Amino acid sequence: MSTTTAALEPVFTFLSYSYASLESSFFKIPGSHVVARYVRSSHQNDPGRTVLEIMLFIFAVRTLLQSRTRADHSGKHFIKFEEKEIDDLVDEWTPEPLAVDLSPKEKADLVSVPVIVGATGPKPKLTTGKTVLNLASYNFTGLAGNETINQKAIEVLKKYGLGSCGPPGFYGTQDVHIQLEKDIADFLGTEASIIYSQAFSTISSVIPAFSKRGDVIVADRGVNFAIQKGLQVSRSNIRWYDHNDLHSLEQVLESVEKERRKKGLPLTRRFIVTEGIFDCDGVMSDLPKLVELKLKYKYRLVLDESISFGSVGRTGRGLTELYNVPASQVDMLIGSVATGLAATGGFCAGSDIVVNHQRINGTSFVYSAAMPGLMAVAASEGINILRNTPSILSTLQENVRSIRAILDKVDCIHIPSHAASATIHLQIRLPSPALLAPNMIPPSPALSSSGRHSNPLSVIPRDPPQYDYDLEERLLQDIVEEALTQGVMLTRAKTLRGQELADVRPSIRIAVTSALSRKDCEKAAGVVKAAFVKIVGKRR
Amino acid sequence: MPSPNARGFSSPIAINPSSPTASLFSRKKSSTAMSTAASYLSAVSQADARARKLTDTDSTTSTPALSLSSSVTSSSGETVLDESPLDNRDGLTYPKVPPTSEQVFGTVHTEFGHCGNEDHRFTAGFKPGDQWKPVIEQEPPHYILLSTYVSYLLLIVIGHLRDFIGKRLRPSEYKHLMKQDGYMALNSDFDSFYTRRLKLRIDDCFAYPTTGVPGRTILLIDRSSPDYNRTYVPVGTRTRALNISSYNYLGFAQGTGGCADAVEEGIHRYGVATCGARLEGASLDLHTQAEALIARFIGMEDALVSSMGFATNSTIIPALVSKGCLVISDELNHASIRFGVRLSGANVRMFKHNDMGALEQLLREVISQGQPKTHRPWKKILVIVEGLYSMEGTLVNLPAIVELKKKYKFYLFVDEAHSIGALGPNGRGVCDYFNMDPRSIDILMGTFTKSFGAAGGYISANKNIIDRLRTSGHSGAYAEAMSPPVLIQVMASMASIMGISIQQHDKAAAQSQQVIAYPGPTPSTALPPWMPLVPTMIDGSDGKMRLRRLAFNARYLNRALRRLGFITFSHDDSPVVPLLVFNPGKMAVFSRLMRTRATPIVVVVVAYPATPLITSRVRFCLSAAHTKEDVDTLLQACDEVGDLLDLKQGTGERWPLQEIMSRAVEIVNELP
Repeated sequence: MSTTTAALEPVFTFLSYSYASLESSFFKIPGSHVVARYVRSSHQNDPGRTVLEIMLFIFAVRTLLQSRTRADHSGKHFIKFEEKEIDDLVDEWTPEPLAVDLSPKEKADLVSVPVIVGATGPKPKLTTGKTVLNLASYNFTGLAGNETINQKAIEVLKKYGLGSCGPPGFYGTQDVHIQLEKDIADFLGTEASIIYSQAFSTISSVIPAFSKRGDVIVADRGVNFAIQKGLQVSRSNIRWYDHNDLHSLEQVLESVEKERRKKGLPLTRRFIVTEGIFDCDGVMSDLPKLVELKLKYKYRLVLDESISFGSVGRTGRGLTELYNVPASQVDMLIGSVATGLAATGGFCAGSDIVVNHQRINGTSFVYSAAMPGLMAVAASEGINILRNTPSILSTLQENVRSIRAILDKVDCIHIPSHAASATIHLQIRLPSPALLAPNMIPPSPALSSSGRHSNPLSVIPRDPPQYDYDLEERLLQDIVEEALTQGVMLTRAKTLRGQELADVRPSIRIAVTSALSRKDCEKAAGVVKAAFVKIVGKRR
Repeated sequence: MPSPNARGFSSPIAINPSSPTASLFSRKKSSTAMSTAASYLSAVSQADARARKLTDTDSTTSTPALSLSSSVTSSSGETVLDESPLDNRDGLTYPKVPPTSEQVFGTVHTEFGHCGNEDHRFTAGFKPGDQWKPVIEQEPPHYILLSTYVSYLLLIVIGHLRDFIGKRLRPSEYKHLMKQDGYMALNSDFDSFYTRRLKLRIDDCFAYPTTGVPGRTILLIDRSSPDYNRTYVPVGTRTRALNISSYNYLGFAQGTGGCADAVEEGIHRYGVATCGARLEGASLDLHTQAEALIARFIGMEDALVSSMGFATNSTIIPALVSKGCLVISDELNHASIRFGVRLSGANVRMFKHNDMGALEQLLREVISQGQPKTHRPWKKILVIVEGLYSMEGTLVNLPAIVELKKKYKFYLFVDEAHSIGALGPNGRGVCDYFNMDPRSIDILMGTFTKSFGAAGGYISANKNIIDRLRTSGHSGAYAEAMSPPVLIQVMASMASIMGISIQQHDKAAAQSQQVIAYPGPTPSTALPPWMPLVPTMIDGSDGKMRLRRLAFNARYLNRALRRLGFITFSHDDSPVVPLLVFNPGKMAVFSRLMRTRATPIVVVVVAYPATPLITSRVRFCLSAAHTKEDVDTLLQACDEVGDLLDLKQGTGERWPLQEIMSRAVEIVNELP
């Protein structure tokens, strides 16, 4: 016993020595006496607290040391395996193929996509050698192929090269981008605007820049795919109202407010998200009523004008011009430069605060290269042309009217689109009662007033329209191909079934252009009519 | 005007060997641009003699030879915007050392620097038997870390104090941050705190407006802020600065030259718009041709283009994985990958950056555990890594990952946004660099913004996968198709890197083109027949020169910065070079000092949230357009600023700047 004590003697002396030196050096630190006194007295008063604080300290150190990428061994679902067992499991595991092969139908769809040789425009040439009337491409105002725009683009190419070679934050902002942003803001009458380099990625970035977890978004059931993705990324609380039914919107707004009051929830950011002219069926929103509701219930309005910008209004400014509502009433006005001005990209117009916030928080703005300079100039020139030539829009409206005049009267075609919409969706109307689709929009007011509301939490309305998706899709594809053989290029409105939140009723989407003469439009409409009658009539 | 002679060719492939201006580095240049005066000849011989013995680059200004060089460059110099041609004190507009009689440059010096020195070339890549060496991460001294934390703390405390006091004294200025008449603030206090109180202080370093070609140099539109960076007003002047910030690795950002001519011709033929989505009637023959060429370039079966680089990831990943699948992602992956994964609904796990041990550990765990709670096996596991990390300059350890892939049967997705074009002896990205078969990887994604001077991105894989993505990816049905000028720029620059083998348009040739091996030249039949081509594009010498100049610059800067004592994270061959400054305050000062030097230099500064909090950095993006003298200029600036800001914290051997500059070739060719 004494031998061990003797053996440990140097150790003890060392320990006591180092303790003493530690203590003396600790007390050399100014203020250390105060700390020591505090610790001593707190330990005296409540020894339990010391234990607690030591535990807290250890916990803090542990948290700091834990890496973000640590493996999750602590969960109660974790099963411990031997290395050998893991090897066996690894050997056993067989993954599914990365991509499922295309079904014959998908293959046929892909093959049937027409390919244009040379420039697109009102009368493009296809790989088949045929020149066709183009009712498929978004070229409402006929800016595609405009010689002035091309010339400007070439000038810019020589001064700026093609790519911007950097994100806007890092020397990718060129004077032409700033000019386009100013042009768009001036054109619409907002304080400012911001351009994104792809239209599809614009709104899916704008929504999550503002709406966060816990915020409330009230959205139309028919919103397009890009909006759906924006809603998904935002992780906000989503409430749905019936497609283009502002009574339903009001009820939802009312119920959200009631719920908030009942539960005493704090005020959050609240948004109404909808489209000007809907991508899925060409229906138009009643903007003045929307603005009235948003002001009444104190929501902010996010309006996607991807289709309506550059296609309605006296000079193509969109819904705000058509209804004579100041664009400043719309908090975030999103439009497509690609569709509306025949260039590339999208924009969000609004107040300075709205726009500047996106310059740091708009994901696809911050992390993506700015659009090529020549595209920005092409868009600016497009605005210039629209501003100075109101006749473009009046021609477009005449063309819409002449096409509608022919197609509206056809029995087997159902057109949900607004009479002024430059996209005309043609759905199939089948005579058989089993397949007779109830009009998808608008649901009769009697229905909603009778208290049978849809569930705002679900994107599926209470009485979803009944139709045979596959049959209609097949018939429409036959019609597209029939029209193509007659020299008219059409397209189905392509949607990703299964990835969209709810099925979108198949339709053929005609995009009217002012670049075709009235005669051509009538001819094309005649071909479409004949194709419908032929294909759908065959089934009767 | 380089265009008219390029148009209207009737030959099957519009080769234009005698074009005086459209060719790059043409040695047979017609002498009209150079005067035939005797003074000219004597100036040339003088310049030759000087170039042979010259070491000090500053001793030559205002000589007859200088005006000669300017007459050569300004013949195609429309891109020199409103600048006095005589002002060349900073050496940006015209070379300080005038070219010798042997060297005739068809490029504009401000866009693509003149460099005739064949020693300033290098080819980087793995040879068989090379071993992977990770970059050693150097730690800064503790006082740097401490002062960094303290400065952030200080900024945060002061920021909150200002908010607290400001809201009470001047509520009108804080209106947008507070609830008002029933509306919740649009940007809540917490969200915008970083922007208002930290970023605003150094906001003058970001989003600087520019004009002209973002090539070797860039024209800044000067601005000033009357209200501490809240708003800016242009002051009416422009500054030409050396551009070390743009993603222009191969220097294809040019307003003149073969690619620009091709694009110009293309705009005449195709316009600028596609008017819709690929599946909705906006598919052009150009899309088909470009996709085939890209697949050939990458060495994969098929490819798909998307009109935005960010959207390539964010719209394609959801078509590959869904619920029940697992994505294993490097912790430093780009935001677009995270965005795409979030949309897909798949589970995500991250592993420590480039740590293969951690990846294997994680793989063993996830495969053995299966899905959370249910323990069902994963449907599939997709590992997503980047080829070259844009903020770190590190390379992926591809050989090791492919080894792991064989054992663990996951699918591999490599994002080559920065590495395609910029790496490998043939410019084909990381696979080329590591001398590996691209088809050993399932999906290779990349962008055209960086090396090709265009926009947008691509995905390449086998035909089944690409067809699935065409059908089920979001961009096919909803997003606008890539526009014709961009497609043409991509094809022209790609052909320039690959070189072109001339083939006749007939059946037999079409058969034989199939057998040309990767990474060989492209058959001319794969390009649009109307595309104007210049000789240097056809023989591939232009592309080779770009690749070799970039490799030289990258290795030179990386090694020189370390020798100067700076801490960088990047791989020796990475054209992205981050220089660690740690302290947020130093970052802004660094950027401002560089921009206001006698030879202004623009660099990118990056801080949280793009990087971890303490590792604020300056990022250099090199280009083939830079000359060795440009890198010297940069090094000299870094040396001075580095001393001033106490940035030389690295360990290891240090050399004085002059020695580094004079022994550059030796440094580059040194074995690691």
